[in-house]
This record gives sequence, C-alpha cells and structure tokens, in this order.
Amino acid sequence: MDAQKVDMFIMANGKFFESHQIAQIRDRLLVLDDDKWGMIQTLQFKDPTTSLIISLLGGNLGIDRFMIGDTGLGVGKLLTCGGFGIWAIIDWFMIMDATREKNMAKIQLALY
Amino acid sequence: MGRNKLYFHLGIACLAGYIWFFVNYSITYSHENNGIETGCLIKQFTDIPCPSCGATRSLISLMHGHIIESLYWNPFGIVLFVIMLITPIWLLVDCLYHRASLLWFYKKTELFLKQRKVAIPAILLVLINWGWNIYKGL
Repeated sequence: MDAQKVDMFIMANGKFFESHQIAQIRDRLLVLDDDKWGMIQTLQFKDPTTSLIISLLGGNLGIDRFMIGDTGLGVGKLLTCGGFGIWAIIDWFMIMDATREKNMAKIQLALY
Repeated sequence: MGRNKLYFHLGIACLAGYIWFFVNYSITYSHENNGIETGCLIKQFTDIPCPSCGATRSLISLMHGHIIESLYWNPFGIVLFVIMLITPIWLLVDCLYHRASLLWFYKKTELFLKQRKVAIPAILLVLINWGWNIYKGL
C-alpha cells in the first residue's frame, strides 16, 4: 500500500492505539494489498478518552467495561458495586489502555 | 482475554469476595461492634444505594436459609451466591486438568449477553432493581 495512504491512516487513527503498536501497524499496512484499503478505512475504533469519561461517571456500574466489549468483567463490576469501589478506581487508570488493546484486536482481525 | 489472565482475575475476585463476605459476617454477628461501618462504600459516601447494595445482607440471609428474606434484600445475592459457589471449583478443576472449559463458557456467556434481545431486558431488570433499592432505602 502507498506510504502516503498509510501515513494518513496513522495520523488519523494514531490516538486509538498504544505507541509501541503503531510501528507494527504501519509495517503491516505497507505490505497489505491495496484492495483492503476501503475496509481498513471504514473501521470504527473506540476513543480512549470517551471510555475514561464513562469510567469516571459510571465505573461503579461497570458501564465502561460494557462499552469496550468486556461484558463478563462488566457484569462482575455491576454485581459487586464496582468491585467494592476499589476496582472502579483502579479502572480509572486501566481503562484507556484496555480500550487501546480492544482497538488493536479489532484492527488485527482486519489485517491478518 | 487469555486463559491465564482470566483465571488470575477470577481467582482474585473470588478471594476478595469471600474475604469481604466473612469480614462483614463476623462484624455483623460479633457483639463488640467498634463502630466499623460495613456494607457498600458508595452508599457511605453518596447516601444513594447502588444496584448491588444489600447483596452482602442477602448472602447472609441465604446462609441462614431465609430465601424470601434474601430476595427482599437484593435478588442479585442469589446470582452472586451461585457464581461464588461454582467459579472456584470450576477454576480448580480446570487448572488441575489443564483445560480451558471455564474460558469457553465465559466467552459463550459474553456473546449471549451481547445479544440485543437479552441485553435490553437485563438492563431494564437492573434499573428496576436499583429503583427498588432506593425505594427500600437500603
């Protein structure tokens, strides 16, 4: 794929991934077939900042975990009042990385 | 989520749950209560009960065989009771035999709960239960 296209993608979507993953995504995109570009471009990623806001507001009910797709953990958080309030606080710091990991899993499905 | 990570988290969660339960149990039934507040931390800070408030009291009632009373405190208590009873045993069996049947079941359950026709009634039930909790003033 064109280096220009790949760099455009990285610029637009870099914030959805961990910094160490970006180099790997870039390398993979460069060797990818051109006809996959349309699909890659239309992928929807979850914004880590949004999930942080949701975690701050609704973390005790597990809504942040439900939002990024960790339904099982969400149920666990809901049933235990956000892990007795402790897990909810830990998740304020974990949820952004968890969201980026989910995004990485999503793009990997399209890339490989 | 991989097998080891999930099992580690579940193990920690079960352990914390049991410790929480028995600490609360012993404080509730010891005669010298040194003014230690028990129960939901959220409620102590905000004065509004959360959807799972009363689950500990529900589990304690269930331990004494009062099923109706435990339903009154919080129906979630029954769900928690079943989860906390089954998960540690399943976890141990899986670890001993190097299998991943609990992971398989966990993923199936996640997919089941993500279906719209299951998710919407479940959310409604949780909200109704929350409303009931606030009405009861737990």
